[in-house]
Amino acid sequence: MIRDLHLEYGASFGEFAGWEVPMVYTSTIEEHLTVRSDVGIFDISHMGRLKVSGPDATELFEVIYTKRVSKTKVGFMSGPTLALNPYARVKDDEMLYNINGEEWLLIPNAAVADHMMEYLRSMALSRSLKVEVEDLRDKYVMLAIQGPKTVEVMSRLGASWAENLKPLEFRVGEYVAGVKTFIVSRSGWTGEDGFEIIAEPKHGEIIFREAVKTGVKPVGIAARDTLRIEMGFVLGGHEYGEDPLKFPCALSLRYGMGAIDWSKKGFIGEEALRACRREGVRWIRVGLVMRKEAARIIPRHGYNIYLEDINIGWVTSGTYSPILERGIAQAYIDSRYALIGETVELEVRGSRYEARIVDFPFIKR
Amino acid sequence: MVKLEVQLRTFKTIVEDTLLYTRTDEWIRVEDGKARVGITDYAQRMLRDIVGVELPKLGLKVSKGQAVAVIESIKATVEVYTPITGTIIEINERLRGEPELLNKDPYGNGWIFVVSIENRDEIKDLITPQEYILKIQQEKR
Repeated sequence: MIRDLHLEYGASFGEFAGWEVPMVYTSTIEEHLTVRSDVGIFDISHMGRLKVSGPDATELFEVIYTKRVSKTKVGFMSGPTLALNPYARVKDDEMLYNINGEEWLLIPNAAVADHMMEYLRSMALSRSLKVEVEDLRDKYVMLAIQGPKTVEVMSRLGASWAENLKPLEFRVGEYVAGVKTFIVSRSGWTGEDGFEIIAEPKHGEIIFREAVKTGVKPVGIAARDTLRIEMGFVLGGHEYGEDPLKFPCALSLRYGMGAIDWSKKGFIGEEALRACRREGVRWIRVGLVMRKEAARIIPRHGYNIYLEDINIGWVTSGTYSPILERGIAQAYIDSRYALIGETVELEVRGSRYEARIVDFPFIKR
Repeated sequence: MVKLEVQLRTFKTIVEDTLLYTRTDEWIRVEDGKARVGITDYAQRMLRDIVGVELPKLGLKVSKGQAVAVIESIKATVEVYTPITGTIIEINERLRGEPELLNKDPYGNGWIFVVSIENRDEIKDLITPQEYILKIQQEKR
């Protein structure tokens, strides 16, 4: 993260997964709405960046991930996939960039980047696979330009080639704002069109400044969270984690997006995942929207959900949706009660407030 | 009423010199026998996007230090404590529909409640604007 740069733009900093990040510049609601209707730029350098290379890289991925990462074409990202533990609980959801078949870039979540690095190394070692794992976090920063007007911004930054990229396609060594980047991909975590840019810190700073000069608004990590919750995207430590006592089986996430390939065999956690599929899931991840009378109640992580006197689930992430102007939440609800459209009650400071069960995303696009 | 502009490490904040303060970031205006209470400019800046407020009931008997209101911002849910023992005699109903007043006008239209003062000695426990400025400067924001 380029601290002084963000200070200049008025950032307030906060802690996220042990990293100091620019949380908000002006107002999270404003920043959120900017990304939905215009375009914003984020510094997401807290995310992991691991280069995995060697002739056996794809063989290692076959063991670790729930989809056939090896099918990813050169110059494309794998799409989200899951790394499970033997209990079919999720270590991380990640995307992998296929640079040239033997060189890959992985983007682990911030909180587990160190763990994933050690895990990949030890799994490779124990299977005698020729794989090297390099931490690129100090070498490069990571930015995201997101919003419906992103393509125009890229063009203003002299990168009109970017509009030809398909979703999840990327290029290596291209120029943005006159400076060289490592990788530019058409991807993001907001539900909007956009690009993620990985570049050396001094180049990242130039791109950030030039983007702001052309009218792009700096957006903080707090808005990144409200944007992802609105889309129903999951976050480690909230919707998933490794502890089987705290988190249900990976299937309960309803992750979708082709993250699990059932024709694939031999990955860690497969046996438990198939058992969970046969037995059926106890918990289902659903959305909750506060009823109008309770619109200004923000459901927070850990709040309990009731149906009459029965505790039927818990909130994993919640926020105030600037688009719906309501409190919204992601929650696990007992699968017997997880009926879309039904009303349940949230316990907040000893009182009950009504919310409606909905499917994701919260906003229709 | 004089607005004191205080430069902190990353932003400026306003402290009004005719008010009294608490270490939990409430301000108090003592008005013959009663105390009007709100949150400081510094507190609203820390919370940022305030989207909801739960107000105490009129007539509620409260003791000093008791949580009597709740503020919901995107960042956090926080409680507002009464610095004075007494009875809640006014609440700012406008905040129910316009909680953003707490961000826009924390010392004016963003007041939260008025409590009657039972024990005038409690006023002595409140801190002065100068003491409050020292407190926020020490928080390293």
